[in-house]
Amino acid sequence: MAVTETFVRGERIATVGDFFALLKPRVMSLVIFTGLAGIVVAPGHIDPVSAFTALLCIAVAAGASGALNMAYEADLDARMTRTAARPVARGAIAKHEALAFGWSLSVAAVTLMGLFINLVAAALLAFTVFFYVVVYTLWLKRRTAQNIVIGGLAGALPPAIGWAAVTGHIALAPLTLVLITFLWTPPHFWALALYRCEDYVRAGLPMMPVVKGKAHTRKEILAYTIALFFAGIAPSFIGLGGPLYLAVAALFSGWMVFDAFAVLREKDEVKEPAARRLFGVSIFYLFILFAALILERLLGIAPMGAGHFGAWM
Amino acid sequence: MDEDELAARNARERRKRSIAIALVLGAMVLLFFLMTIVRLKGHAFD
Repeated sequence: MAVTETFVRGERIATVGDFFALLKPRVMSLVIFTGLAGIVVAPGHIDPVSAFTALLCIAVAAGASGALNMAYEADLDARMTRTAARPVARGAIAKHEALAFGWSLSVAAVTLMGLFINLVAAALLAFTVFFYVVVYTLWLKRRTAQNIVIGGLAGALPPAIGWAAVTGHIALAPLTLVLITFLWTPPHFWALALYRCEDYVRAGLPMMPVVKGKAHTRKEILAYTIALFFAGIAPSFIGLGGPLYLAVAALFSGWMVFDAFAVLREKDEVKEPAARRLFGVSIFYLFILFAALILERLLGIAPMGAGHFGAWM
Repeated sequence: MDEDELAARNARERRKRSIAIALVLGAMVLLFFLMTIVRLKGHAFD
C-alpha cells in the first residue's frame, strides 16, 4: 500500500488508451490491410489460425515500431501541432516506458512469426522494424529531404510479409504491391508537408518543401504520382489483379494524378487546398486498391495475365 | 485535481491496465494452444 501511495502521489499514470495510442492504430490498420492482401493473393493455402497469427504479428510489429518512433521522436512531436498530443510528447508515458513497450512487442512479434509461421516471414518482419526504427527514425529523418522516400520501404513491406507467410519465399509479384505503397508514400507525406510546412520548419525537420522549396516539391509529387499510376495498374498485367482491380486502380490512380496536377498549378500557398485534397484522396487510395484485390479473390474473379507471368510467382 | 482524487483516478486506471494485461495474456495462451493444434495437424490427441 505504501508503495502504491508513493507511486501515485503527484502525477497521473498512463491509461490503457495512452498505450493504445502509442501503437499508431490508424497506421496499424493500413498495415493489417496491405498484409492481408499479400496473404490473400499469394498462391497456396494457409489455414485461418495461421493467417490470423501472421496478421497479428504484422500488426503488433507495426504498432511496436510506432511506439519506438514516438519514443525516439518525442522532442520533435512536442514541437509540431499535429503530433504534440501524442502520449510521449505530452508526457503521459515516459520515454523509457515507451521504449520497453516497443522493443518487447517487436521481439515478441518476430519470435511468434518465426516459431509459428516461417523464418522468411520473421526475417522480413525483423527487417521492417529495423528499417523503420533505425534507418528511418534514428538515421534519415533528421538528416535528409529523402527521409520519407527511403523510409517508406518499411511501411511498404507488409504485402511481401503476408505473401512470405503463405509461400515461405519472396517473389517478384508481391514486390509490385510493395512498389505501390513505396511510390504512394512521397505524394502522401509531401502533400501534408505542403500545408503543414510551418510545423516542419518549427520542428527543424528537413522535409522536401522546407529544404527544396514548394515549387520543387510540387514537381516531385507529380512525378511520383505518375509513376504510382503505372505501378497501381501493374498487378493486372502480372497475374495478381483482374478486371475489377484494373478499373478501380486506373480510376483512383488517375484521380491521384489529376489532383497532383492541381497541386502543381496551385496559387494559394497559404491554405494549399489542392494539397489538402490530394492528401485526403491518398488516405483512401491504398485501402481501395487493396480492397479491390481482396474482393476479387473473395468473388472468385480470375486475375489477368497469369499464364504469361507465372515466373513472377 | 487534488491528491486524493488523483490517487483514486490512478487506482482506477491501474485496475483497467491490469485487466487489459490479463486479457492480452489470456489471448496469448489461447493463440499458443490453437497454433500448437494447427502445427500438429490434428494429431494432438494421438
